[in-house]
Amino acid sequence: MDISPEVWGQLAHAHEHGLDDGKTTRFRTTIDKLPDKVLLNIFSYLPHREVCRMARVCKKWRIIAYDTRLWQTVSLRPEVSGLHVTTLESLLNLINVRFGQSLRYLELPMELITHTVLHELASKCPNLTHILLDFSTAMQLHDFNDMQAFPTKLKYMCICLSEVIFMEGFMRKIYNFINGIEVLHLIGTYEKVEEEEEEIYEVINIHKLKHATPNLRVVNLYGINFVDDSHIEAFSSNCIQLECLAVNYCAKVVGSSLKTLFQRCRKLKCLLMNQTSLLSEHVSAVEWEKTQLQELDITATDLSTECLTDLLTRLSNLRWLSVGQQDGFNDSVLRAFTERGNARNLIALDVDSSDNLSEDALYKFICKYGPQLRGLVLSGMPHITDQLWGSVLPILKNARILVMGTADRMSTKIHVDQLMDAIASSCPILERLELRWDPETLRFSDKGQKAIDAIRVRCLKLRCLVLFDGRYYEIVKANFDRADRNTVLLQGTPIQLTVTLMMVAVLTNLIMTNIVGIVPT
Amino acid sequence: MPVVRLQSVDGEVFPVDVEIARMSFAIRNMLDDLGVQDNDAEEVIPLPNVTGPILRKVIEWCTHHKDDPPPPEEDDTREKRTDDIPAWDQEFLRVDQAVLFDIILAANYLDIKGLLDVTCKTVANMIKGKTPEEIRKLFNIKNDFTPAEEEQIRKENEWCEEK
Repeated sequence: MDISPEVWGQLAHAHEHGLDDGKTTRFRTTIDKLPDKVLLNIFSYLPHREVCRMARVCKKWRIIAYDTRLWQTVSLRPEVSGLHVTTLESLLNLINVRFGQSLRYLELPMELITHTVLHELASKCPNLTHILLDFSTAMQLHDFNDMQAFPTKLKYMCICLSEVIFMEGFMRKIYNFINGIEVLHLIGTYEKVEEEEEEIYEVINIHKLKHATPNLRVVNLYGINFVDDSHIEAFSSNCIQLECLAVNYCAKVVGSSLKTLFQRCRKLKCLLMNQTSLLSEHVSAVEWEKTQLQELDITATDLSTECLTDLLTRLSNLRWLSVGQQDGFNDSVLRAFTERGNARNLIALDVDSSDNLSEDALYKFICKYGPQLRGLVLSGMPHITDQLWGSVLPILKNARILVMGTADRMSTKIHVDQLMDAIASSCPILERLELRWDPETLRFSDKGQKAIDAIRVRCLKLRCLVLFDGRYYEIVKANFDRADRNTVLLQGTPIQLTVTLMMVAVLTNLIMTNIVGIVPT
Repeated sequence: MPVVRLQSVDGEVFPVDVEIARMSFAIRNMLDDLGVQDNDAEEVIPLPNVTGPILRKVIEWCTHHKDDPPPPEEDDTREKRTDDIPAWDQEFLRVDQAVLFDIILAANYLDIKGLLDVTCKTVANMIKGKTPEEIRKLFNIKNDFTPAEEEQIRKENEWCEEK
């Protein structure tokens, strides 16, 4: 800092002089001038496949591309990352040369999960805390008899199960290494079309697993055909730290262990039971008023009106609530929730396909709680149109997620221009918007572009906009493309997520990408 | 609003609001070390690595982003995205390659994380989807590998090419 401005001025002058000589290129700053640290930062934004390709540009780039710091989070599942390691030899080489100390998160497909690979990971990657093991395509398990080591610092483990491969040969070798795990995902092979005749195998022994994992905070059993209430009971008996339990799409669960679960696991804040076979009597037996429950998903569980009323008037800390596809959820339940329940903390509500809720009852509810709502799903109801949305949008100032519309053919048309305009002016922090109306139902004019412009310009946080394939989709897509806003994802056929699943990640560290990646569409 | 005066290498002086100048951690540290008081309006901070035109750009960016919330904690378990550059920044960075690299160097030297990240993302987007040869052409990089080395590296990275 001691150099006087004059000296620098002369240097600058010389610089200009050089330009005058016409040797422009010599003084133009090129990418070579960037420090390695900066180049590394740039590379960190590239997918691994691109990083590998950039190693071939020049010597300097090769050194950067091989820097272990670029390999902290790695998926070797070809369908996820496009990386396709074909030989064990190249994987062992990768672990040694590129992953090393840096590796923290790794996804492995079945064919790469062998005892040699796991030994190598255990000895070379001491910071590996998150692992996903995908056995879903397995026809046969490798031989793990010689396995002596396994990564010991794991906090997070996700196992994608196969329907027919028994995991015990592998699991009994790792029980000693996994007692630090806090987040456990077991992903089953749930499929919408159930083949009744097929036999169900208990491919993983949950009663043994729970003994090895006393520190679990999050347990997600997704779409596993053999899981029932005895498995919930098992976790509750050994995992008193449990904060989140998810058993979505586990059709054998009826809720008979819920009372015990809440008595033992006092910290439980999040319960996701979408598409289970809950029985009203078991749900009503839980001492809800004594729980800390904040997030509840009971979508498509067929509970009675009395049970829903009972449940919603006894819970006092609810923040996320998904109760879609419930015939029992009618105006009287909503009224009881408003008058006798406690919706003071409610920030997200999903009542997808609740045909027994009237427009008027929803209007009154939203008028009262609208300003605090961050997520609202009113899809799948033909009687909820742009009319209701038009009147409540000005109240929904804090909305981040809005889902509306139904694929059913409707007699009335939706005036989508006005709707988009209202969203643009009411919801500045919107992040996700889904319009699920059939393309034939949407009516728009030549001036529609203005409304789309308004959404694009005013909702700057919008990252995901879902529309069904059709003319309006094309118009919106063209508009966003022209403005280079590829932030916004437009899908022809949306994956249906309940609002709880969309927002739950914040509280419980559930890693959404893993769940969404496996959800059958 | 108190003001500091930043001087570029070519002698240009820019009066800047302290709060905006403090978005640069380098300047923030300098001000803290010097114990500069609010009323030292005559204090000039020389920035020997930044030219006037670039400093002007940097100040323009900082002024536009002065009310941004602090960036969220980085979550290492997710792939970093590059498709979330705000429209204003995209327009702002629609500049000559050399100017873009100058801005990166300045953001790095002045330690302005937000500006460094958005410019690095921009370069990453320029790289995405291109072959090594296209990259060399785009950035004027010399291929300093011998054919034998080239073959060796191709082999080392064979596994991650699309099948």
